[in-house]
Amino acid sequence: MNDIHLSFILNGQRVNLVIAPNIMLVDLLRDILGLKGTKVGCREGECGACTVLLNGEPVNSCILPAMKVMDQFVTTIEGITKDHALDPIQQAFIDEGAIQCGFCSPAMILSAKALLEKNPNPTEYQIKESLSGVLCRCTGYKKIIKAVQTASAIRKSLG
Amino acid sequence: MQYPFNYFHWKKEIPIKQYLQPHSIPEALEILSYYNGRAQVIAGGTDVIPQIRRGELNIDVLVDITCIPDMNYIEMDGKTICLGGMVTHAQVCLSHLIRNRAKLLAQAAETLGSPQIRNVATIAGNLVSGQPAADIALPLLTLNANVTILSKSGQREVPLNQFFLDQGKTVLDCHREILTQIRFFALQKNQGSYYLRLSKRKALSLPILAVAIKVTADPEKKLFMDAAIALGPVAPIPYRAMASEDYLRNASICKETIDMAAQYASDESNPRSSLLRGSREYRKEMIKVLVRRALIRAIEDIGISLTEGIRYE
Amino acid sequence: MDEEKKKKAKVINREKLDTQQLFQLKTEVGLSVVGQSIPRTDAREKATGKLAYGADYPQEGYLHGKILRSPFPHALIKKINVEKAQKLPGVVAVLTAKDVPGRNSFGVVIPDQPVICGDKVRFVGDAVALVAGETEEISYRALSMIEVEYEPLQPVFDPKEALKPEAPLIHDQGNLLVHHKLRKGDVQKGLAESDVILERTYKVPFVEHAYLEPDVVMAIPKPDGTIRIQGPMQAPFTVRRNVAAVLGIPINKVQVRSIYMGGGFGGKEDAPLDIGCRAAVLAVKTGRPIRLALEREEVTLQTAKRHPHIMEIKIGAKKDGTIVAFEGTIYNEKGAYASLGPLVNIHSVIMMPGPYEIPNCKVDGYLCYTNHPFGGAMRGFGAPQVCFAHESIIDELALELGMNPLEIRRKNAFKLGSMTATSQVLDQSVGLQETIEACAKAFDWNRRYQEAGYLDRERTRRRGVGIGMGFYRTSFGASFDGCGANVYVQEDGSVLLYSGITEIGQGSFTVLTQICAEELGICVEDIRLVEPDTDLVPEAGPTVGSRSTTLMGNAIILAARQVKDSIMEMASEMISVPVERLAAKNRYIWDCEHPENRIHFRDVVSKCWMKGKRLIGQGWWAPPPPSLDPETSQGNPYFVYAYSTQMAEVVVDVETGEVEVTDFVAAFDVGKAINPCAVEGQIEGGITMGLGYALMEEIILKDGYIQNLSFQDFLIPTIKDVPQITPIILEVENKLGPYGAKGMGEMPNIPTAPAIVNAIAHACGGRVRSLPADPEKVWRAIREAGGPPEK
Repeated sequence: MNDIHLSFILNGQRVNLVIAPNIMLVDLLRDILGLKGTKVGCREGECGACTVLLNGEPVNSCILPAMKVMDQFVTTIEGITKDHALDPIQQAFIDEGAIQCGFCSPAMILSAKALLEKNPNPTEYQIKESLSGVLCRCTGYKKIIKAVQTASAIRKSLG
Repeated sequence: MQYPFNYFHWKKEIPIKQYLQPHSIPEALEILSYYNGRAQVIAGGTDVIPQIRRGELNIDVLVDITCIPDMNYIEMDGKTICLGGMVTHAQVCLSHLIRNRAKLLAQAAETLGSPQIRNVATIAGNLVSGQPAADIALPLLTLNANVTILSKSGQREVPLNQFFLDQGKTVLDCHREILTQIRFFALQKNQGSYYLRLSKRKALSLPILAVAIKVTADPEKKLFMDAAIALGPVAPIPYRAMASEDYLRNASICKETIDMAAQYASDESNPRSSLLRGSREYRKEMIKVLVRRALIRAIEDIGISLTEGIRYE
Repeated sequence: MDEEKKKKAKVINREKLDTQQLFQLKTEVGLSVVGQSIPRTDAREKATGKLAYGADYPQEGYLHGKILRSPFPHALIKKINVEKAQKLPGVVAVLTAKDVPGRNSFGVVIPDQPVICGDKVRFVGDAVALVAGETEEISYRALSMIEVEYEPLQPVFDPKEALKPEAPLIHDQGNLLVHHKLRKGDVQKGLAESDVILERTYKVPFVEHAYLEPDVVMAIPKPDGTIRIQGPMQAPFTVRRNVAAVLGIPINKVQVRSIYMGGGFGGKEDAPLDIGCRAAVLAVKTGRPIRLALEREEVTLQTAKRHPHIMEIKIGAKKDGTIVAFEGTIYNEKGAYASLGPLVNIHSVIMMPGPYEIPNCKVDGYLCYTNHPFGGAMRGFGAPQVCFAHESIIDELALELGMNPLEIRRKNAFKLGSMTATSQVLDQSVGLQETIEACAKAFDWNRRYQEAGYLDRERTRRRGVGIGMGFYRTSFGASFDGCGANVYVQEDGSVLLYSGITEIGQGSFTVLTQICAEELGICVEDIRLVEPDTDLVPEAGPTVGSRSTTLMGNAIILAARQVKDSIMEMASEMISVPVERLAAKNRYIWDCEHPENRIHFRDVVSKCWMKGKRLIGQGWWAPPPPSLDPETSQGNPYFVYAYSTQMAEVVVDVETGEVEVTDFVAAFDVGKAINPCAVEGQIEGGITMGLGYALMEEIILKDGYIQNLSFQDFLIPTIKDVPQITPIILEVENKLGPYGAKGMGEMPNIPTAPAIVNAIAHACGGRVRSLPADPEKVWRAIREAGGPPEK
């Protein structure tokens, strides 16, 4: 195995590591950096549980070779909470009952974050489009959509 | 049928020994040549990584070409649109140029996978995967695209209709060659297009059937001048329904010719019965339905509306 | 004391009250926590990604366990050679059947599934050897180095084929695992008296739970000979009893801890058994902690699924729609091993005639082994399958009689006092008719039913509506069904709640905490629910069968009341008010007549502690014992049922067969919604699962091999596939439930598929009788019906 140097910005902080060439981003985050918030559901990019934001855009980290994030910005669910204060999206998910087993929640929350950063006032159709890459088996999606709408309203009122 | 060991046994890690990120095309080609078949190009990785994990791809080294600069462009060059080899599906969806001048390409790009996949999966990668249902291959076929392939021995232009050889196999040797550009003619004023897809659910879904159509017509004379109809998966490679296209050339635009063209497309196609995608009988019938619908939508771009009087029998 | 006040006083002498009266007591001041949609107690941890699921637990020091699987659906194992694998550096153990220390089999009902197959394999994926290595890579490689010589046997893949005398034997005792019978009245007589008789066959396939979290288990052996098993699991006590038997040690030497699950739906009832027993054997043999994790494809390959059913029905009715006879035969495909099959089978048989008063019923359910992956518990436990059949045939009957599908259901549906197919008289909590009315009103059924038709000028899309109706038991009706809870109030007023009910995502932790808080008169934040650990919590049974809220809720109430007695007595002393006049809510206890005379819960508790008064409560609740005649299935199998009516609006593309569900209204009688938001969550999630069952979910098998192992081809609904869902919650109180609650975990996904398939039939005339109603099936059904309707 030939180890390689990786340097990237994770949740706002630069990280420098030596990694194995075959490691996927999700395993780098979970096993090496100890950030377990990103989940593994299928390892083929079909369920979206492993979603992280790469330069603000959602990607499936289970099939993303870790080296691809060299000098890029990666945001995980751990990076959404700032100094113990919940992001309005997280609060909305909690308040609207959009979290049941919670396995898809980090992925849904990050997808919603990416959407609201680009489009603060999405229609229901746009919310569905943006979250269509994450599967949920528990909630039926309805409260998740509501949570994103609530978060959008909260963000607007916060200015 | 003999199922291999890795059909029943799975593990977490993929057996890759080297992951290299060249910063120029010559560097990439040099690396590929050096590894002599044990290395493969990876762009977004959304096909390659699952293939390695499933044991369908046996290589040691991945050569990531996404660090090569100046490969992300979507540009107009006279009457042609040029896409760089690293253009992603997401970029195509958002591109005003493509939405205005090659609408069906954006429609197809939108249907692929999910936002997560579209953010990293490249158009070039989708072509190189050589799948008969490759969403982006069908519209590009109708647009008479050409691809530029680079290797150590030089550069060649291959028309897309000569690019696909068999399921999963193209003229590009992904152990030694890189697809650097895709060029196609932008749609003109007398051309319309449409992309239509039939699938079992609304997202993250492989198609049961996909149809891409580009028509050139004379709205005054209500005449088809030319048609390009691409279908998949109805054969080992993305398929042009030539008989149907021939029929439409100089045919008048009316319900009867559209129905006939759809019938031709269905007759000349040869989908097999698949446990996962559906029976041959159903898929042949759906070719008729989708080709007809896509033709009707495509001619709307040119201002011809045929919904009046179209009734289901 | 005043005569007036004496009248108001309630005598609270708990030993003398029977269960029914106990739960009819309501505090005069109303509920403060129960009935509130409070956010889940674990929501914040889940929203921040901090909650640890099984795969998030540290892996250092663990060996990686892996399972060698059979590549044949049916074969003898002639020889197995593990030498090469054992010699691989980093391999710590390679085990075969002879290495299992105790009983080489496990199972929830019948232990017929080998921990490691010794003489034969019965389905593709059956375990042939176990490996433990220092890394996953090493274990995987070791698997590939084990040499096995198989002698393939003739497999059988169809339950009806399996019943034939010449069929190859999968298990020695025969391919028919069990035959359950239901006999009520005289079905031949009933059919003879019918004006109309319909005969139809309905089929449903294997489907996967497809919970997002793949299974994982950790087995940690201790130097003292005990072993700890931990992981996501719904049935820690079942795992414990099986691990003990497999290891050949007493139950009290096995500690099982269930951790938060990323979904279960019944699948994590027996999958953890499977990998838990195997990990335990590896742990004991290596003396080291073992981690055994399944990749997604392995979850599909080896874990239990929903039982396929072939259901043949003959139904007889009068011209006016009164159903007089119901004859059903179920060929219930077991697959390779028993798992929960026998319990599913009797449940299917009992539920087959549906929520209708039918005087003459005859049902035969044949549970047949095949060389396919096996069925287990999956949300509904037989009910989704039979509900699809009875709701479909009721609609077909309505069509035959020219009746509105709503009318025929209203006519025959259960009411209070109705007699079920098992001759059980439904003497309480029967809200079915209420759900019919509420749903029909909210959905505007009659108008939509009349207005169905083409949506577009091109005449390609047609709208239609359909109804599905069902009922579902609370808990599984076994004689040993019971549930214990401990409530320990600490000296500062904080509370530890010990409950063996697990958190699958359904919100059980939150709801049970709400019940405890309500009973004690405190707030949810004051209570910590201790994660279910068999060393700490009393026997609770599995978290299945929609039993958690009701059974554990009752146990918690009983436990809490033991403590509350001490507290109320002490409070009475402290503020000089007779106990009968006290009320407790939101951490305060006060005199009902002089509310300003109050005392804080914490102060009372502190005083109790000082005086050595009991602050430990223990509760045990078991439902009334079930009764079911083994020959006729007549009796009272379950003690209460939930009811639901669901209505779907679909748009069918009559040329392609594509179906879009555009609107969905569903009404439920839940007894009491302890946490309405959580109930809505179950409804919306369950309906979505039912929608998947109706339109897209199917395990596709060819020659015994699953063709769609991964999420790429096993399709579950995405966010874009789900319609507007309007849940309606009705409360017809269950006298035997905590605050009147009944189970709701499974009810939502049961009538959904038939509601959608009935809507498809209404929309386009095409009747699909085998799920899923994917585009091709709908297209064929339209053709069979002679094309779509004219109008």
